[in-house]
Amino acid sequence: MDLFSNLLLGFSVAVSPMNLAYMLIGVFIGMVVGIIPGFGPSAALAVLLPITFGMDPAGAVIMLAAIYYGSQYGGTITSILLNTPGESSSVASTFDGYPLAQQGRAGPALVMQAVSSFVGGTLGVVLITLLALPFSQVARSFGPPEFFLLVVMGLSTLIVMIGGNWRLGLISALLGFALGTVGVDLETGNTRFTFGSAELIGGVDFIPVAIGLFGLGELYYAFWSGLHVSGSGGIVQYQKEKRFWPTRRDYAESNGALVRGSFLGFVVGVLPGAGATVASLMSYSVEKSLSKTPEKFGKGAMAGLVGPESANNAASSGAMVPLLTLGIPGSASTAVLLAAFVLWGLTPGPLLMASKPEFAWGLIASMYLGNMALLALNVFAIPLFVQMIKLPYRLLAPAVILVCTLGTYSVNGSIVETWLMFGAGIVGFFMKLHGYSPAALVLALVLGPLAEQSLRQSLTISQGSLAIFVERPVSLTILTLTCAMLIGGLLMRRARRPR
Amino acid sequence: MRAGFQLGVLLFAGLYSYYAFTDLSWLSSASRLGPAFFPRIIGVALVALCAWSLVAEWRAPGERVAEHWRASLVLALLSGMFVAVLDVLGGLLAMVLFMAGALAWFNRGRWVQNVLLSLLLPGGMYLLFKVWLNAGVPRGMLLPF
Repeated sequence: MDLFSNLLLGFSVAVSPMNLAYMLIGVFIGMVVGIIPGFGPSAALAVLLPITFGMDPAGAVIMLAAIYYGSQYGGTITSILLNTPGESSSVASTFDGYPLAQQGRAGPALVMQAVSSFVGGTLGVVLITLLALPFSQVARSFGPPEFFLLVVMGLSTLIVMIGGNWRLGLISALLGFALGTVGVDLETGNTRFTFGSAELIGGVDFIPVAIGLFGLGELYYAFWSGLHVSGSGGIVQYQKEKRFWPTRRDYAESNGALVRGSFLGFVVGVLPGAGATVASLMSYSVEKSLSKTPEKFGKGAMAGLVGPESANNAASSGAMVPLLTLGIPGSASTAVLLAAFVLWGLTPGPLLMASKPEFAWGLIASMYLGNMALLALNVFAIPLFVQMIKLPYRLLAPAVILVCTLGTYSVNGSIVETWLMFGAGIVGFFMKLHGYSPAALVLALVLGPLAEQSLRQSLTISQGSLAIFVERPVSLTILTLTCAMLIGGLLMRRARRPR
Repeated sequence: MRAGFQLGVLLFAGLYSYYAFTDLSWLSSASRLGPAFFPRIIGVALVALCAWSLVAEWRAPGERVAEHWRASLVLALLSGMFVAVLDVLGGLLAMVLFMAGALAWFNRGRWVQNVLLSLLLPGGMYLLFKVWLNAGVPRGMLLPF
């Protein structure tokens, strides 16, 4: 099938009334998740995953994906009006978004962020449409060494790029790998770390761990930081009058940033581990260095808002490429999406596009529609979301705990897994408090079995020689790319360090 | 507190490595890499990194000021109690009690709002999971829901 007929097939799936409704519900929830500081898309996806069990697989994944990319839109509203990013990927949007709002230009800033998110997100989906199939065809030639190196690339990039203490990030990833070894060894059939427990033979279930770490852990941490007592008093008012709309000059100043941010964001998003936060920060640096008036950055430059916004949305689209074509998630959010795929009996990877075209293309087509719906929501429903910013955390948190607990229980009807979720919540709180990376743990837990299996298979093929990782052209390329990203990441960290 | 958590992680890493070295075999019966191969690498790396971090922490302690530790402790205790009574009281009653407790503590003085939320939200949640999604909600020993 050619590209056009694939896309047509996708739209026929995406525009079915139920899937359209799931997509609209997803983008709305994504927006809401985006504007709640301290509650990210990974948490929302993990918490809401059990709720999708009654749905049909395509509709469920369309809704979860819509929550994921919808959250990238919502996170910026609080960046502009409150100087508090709803998501880590919206941090760069505070640099110029909030100063614009303080200058009485909150309306144009909100509209421009919606437009740039739409352009970035849609361009990202166009690039997925063009590249996903060729990418999956190339990926069919990948063997165990390539898959092992892709896992290493994803995790090491996540650890180095995300900031914070790399040692603690690496410990978090190793803890995830350690948890991933619990259960039956796939190669020999021996049980490991089960201590005679029948519950552990199937391994440590990913869903309770993810819900605990991201859902409960985030809430405990938010309370520890005092989010339940701090209000939204600092919110900047905006005018829904003539000055609400951007001027021609705003568009003219932003065109270059919009295109550059979109392409840069997509490329960064495709690389496992890098993600939307890195993309938006890189875009901000690029725009500032290319600008004829860099002194305006940080004081309300429209390009400083538009570049990162288009980049983080394009990156969230780009992150779907390794997920769909390789079955390798590049972030905690896409790891939860992978878990959703697996729960529905779908195996993301090189064969997905060929074996389940209606599903893969249905998801891609729904992203076009989702981005349009998000543009409309962002421009016309801003007052509604501003009201939601004012929703007190002290009321929100108990409701989220209900969903986390009941959601975990409903997966397998297991009280042991509900306790596991609670334990993961406590561990997640301490990890966040002390600078560890729950995202690296979750990603390693998901990728651990693949990493172990592919490493053992690689060494069996090569009879114990590590040269297999440099002898094959594709693995050598991945290794070189990993080294380049690590060096780049270390240089970025050094540049960010206060002198 | 940070050093305590790091010590806990080091202890976990030590026990994990001990098990990997004593109870799992390096090679399988077919003389291929066995079930201990990966866990031993992970265990050794974990112990080494945890020890390094602990030394770094001891040299430059980075303690954070706990401004609202009581709030997070209460929330954690309430959610732990909620899980503990879930299959004793049943999903619906446990949810109502948890909401009532959490709102009484964190949303003090707003009794009408708290009572309404404690009844309506668990009721809605029960309908969502049990009726709409047909998912499992714990049955209690005292009540059938």
